[in-house]
Amino acid sequence: MMRTARRWLYVSAIELWLPVLLAAAWWFASRDSASAYFPALRDILTSFRLDWLSSAGAQNLRPSLTVLAAGFGSAVVVGVAVGAVLGLNRGFERATRPLLELLRAVPGVALLPVFIALIGIGTDMKILLVASGAVWPILLNTIDGVRSTEPLLIDMAVSYGMGGGRRLRSIILPAAAPQIFAGARTALAISVIIMVVGETVGAQGGIGYFLLAAQRSFQITDMWATIIALGVLGYLLNLLFRLIEAVVLRWHRLYQARLGGPRR
Amino acid sequence: MSTNAVSGPPGTTSPAVPPGDQQQAAGWYSSMPVRQAAVIVLAGALWWYLATVTPPDSVPSPARTFGELATLLGTDAVWTAVAQTATTWLIGIAACITVGVPLGLLIGSSRRATDSTRLTIDFVRNIPPVALVPVGLLLWGPTRNMVLLLVISGTIWPIVIQSSYAARQTEPQLRDFALVFQLGRRWWLTHIFLPGVTPFVMTGLRVAATICLLLTVTGELFGGAPGVGTQIQNAQVGNDNPQMYAYVVVAALLGLLVNSLIWAAQRRLLKWHPSFRRRA
Repeated sequence: MMRTARRWLYVSAIELWLPVLLAAAWWFASRDSASAYFPALRDILTSFRLDWLSSAGAQNLRPSLTVLAAGFGSAVVVGVAVGAVLGLNRGFERATRPLLELLRAVPGVALLPVFIALIGIGTDMKILLVASGAVWPILLNTIDGVRSTEPLLIDMAVSYGMGGGRRLRSIILPAAAPQIFAGARTALAISVIIMVVGETVGAQGGIGYFLLAAQRSFQITDMWATIIALGVLGYLLNLLFRLIEAVVLRWHRLYQARLGGPRR
Repeated sequence: MSTNAVSGPPGTTSPAVPPGDQQQAAGWYSSMPVRQAAVIVLAGALWWYLATVTPPDSVPSPARTFGELATLLGTDAVWTAVAQTATTWLIGIAACITVGVPLGLLIGSSRRATDSTRLTIDFVRNIPPVALVPVGLLLWGPTRNMVLLLVISGTIWPIVIQSSYAARQTEPQLRDFALVFQLGRRWWLTHIFLPGVTPFVMTGLRVAATICLLLTVTGELFGGAPGVGTQIQNAQVGNDNPQMYAYVVVAALLGLLVNSLIWAAQRRLLKWHPSFRRRA
C-alpha cells in the first residue's frame, strides 16, 4: 500500500514538473506585461473564467460541439462502412484506389468555399465539411485493418457455417478495430481544425467565431482565453477518445499481453 | 471464369501463380488500369450530372472547370500561388524535421525524458493549430510567417511523437551486440540506431506531410496570406465558381504531389526494409 502510494507520487512528480514549470514561467514572465499582444496570464485566466466557465461559454460551446459530434460521427460511420466494403472486395478496392487518393488529396478546408456555394452558410454545411475532411484516415485505415484480418480465422468461421453479417461483426471488425481507432484519432484532430475554420464564416456563434471576433476587435485577453479553451477542449476530447478506446479494445490489450509476454 | 484457358495448357495450372496475376491475364477490359480509369470516368460523370441538376453556375461542369484550369495554367497568377504555397510547405516541413526528429529521438531514448514530457506534449499537441492564427495575424499580419506559425505548431508533433516511439523500439539485443564487439558509439549510431528508427520516423513524416499541406492551405484561406488557399477564397468572394473549382483542383494536385514525394522518399530510404524488398 505504502509502496503504491510512493510510486504514484513519483509518477505524478515526474509527469507534472515540466507543465508546472512552464505555467509558472509564463505567469511570472507576463506578470507586469505592458505588451498589448501578450497580456498577463492572470488576466487571461480571469477572461477564461468569464468567457468559457459561464453560461455564455456554454452557449458558445453548444454549436461547436454539435458540429463536431455530427461531423466526426458521420465520418466514423461512413468511413467504417465504405472501408469494410472496400476492404472485403480486393478488386473493387484496387479499382477505386486512384479515385480515393485523388479525393483524399483535397485539403479539407479548401472545400469550405465550395460547400458555401453549394449549401450556403449553416450548420449542415459545417457538419458536411467536417465529415468530408475527417472521413479519409478512418476509411483508409479500415481498408487496411479489414484486409489484414487473419485469414485462418475467416476460414474457420466459414467452415463453422457463420454467416456473412455475423462474420463481419464478430471477427472482421474486431480484428480491424485497433487500426480503425488509430485512424479515428487522426480524424478527430482534423475535425477540430475544420470545425474552427468552418465557424469563422457566418455569425452563428461557436468557438471559432468567438476566436476570430476577439482578434478582430483587439480583445486580446479574450483571444488568449479562447486559445486556452481550445487547448482544454482538444485535450479533453483526446482523453475521452482514449477512454472509449481502452474500453472497446480491452480484449486486444489482454490478447497482446498474452501473446508477447510483458512488454518493456 | 476461364482463367485456365489463358494461363496455360490444361492440367498444368501451377498453384504458384497468385490469383491476381491470373485475373490480369483474362482480357484487356478487366485489367486494373482500365478499371481504375473507368472508376474515375464514372466519378466524372457523376460530377457532370450534379452540375446539370444543381442551380446554374453553382457547380461548374468538369469541362468548364478543367477549361478554366487550362486557361489559369497559362497565367502567372496560378504559378505564383503554387510557388508560394509550395515554399511555405517546404519551409514548414523542413523546420519540423530538423527540430522534431532529433527532439523526438532524444526524448524517446530516455525513460525519464519520456515521462517528464508526456503530459506537456499531450496537452500542446491537442491544441488545434488554427487557434494560433489570430496570434500570427497580430504579430505579422497576413504573411508567410503567420502561416508558418500555424504550420509548424501543427506539423511538429506527429514527427516528435513518432520519433520518440521509434527510439523506444530499438532492439536492446543490437545495442548489446555493438557493445560486445566494441563497435564504438558512432558506428552504433550510423549502422544500427539510425537505420532502426527510419521506418517509424517515415510513418510520422507521411502523416506530417499531409497535415502540413492542409495547414498551409488553411492558413492562407483563413488568414489571407498569399497562396493557393487565398486564390480559392478570392474566387469565392468574386463569385467566380469555375475559377474556385479550378483552384481546388490545383490544391488537390499539390496534395497528390506531396503524397508521391513522400512515397518516393520512403522507397529510397527503406530499400532494405522487408515491406519494400518484396516490391522490387
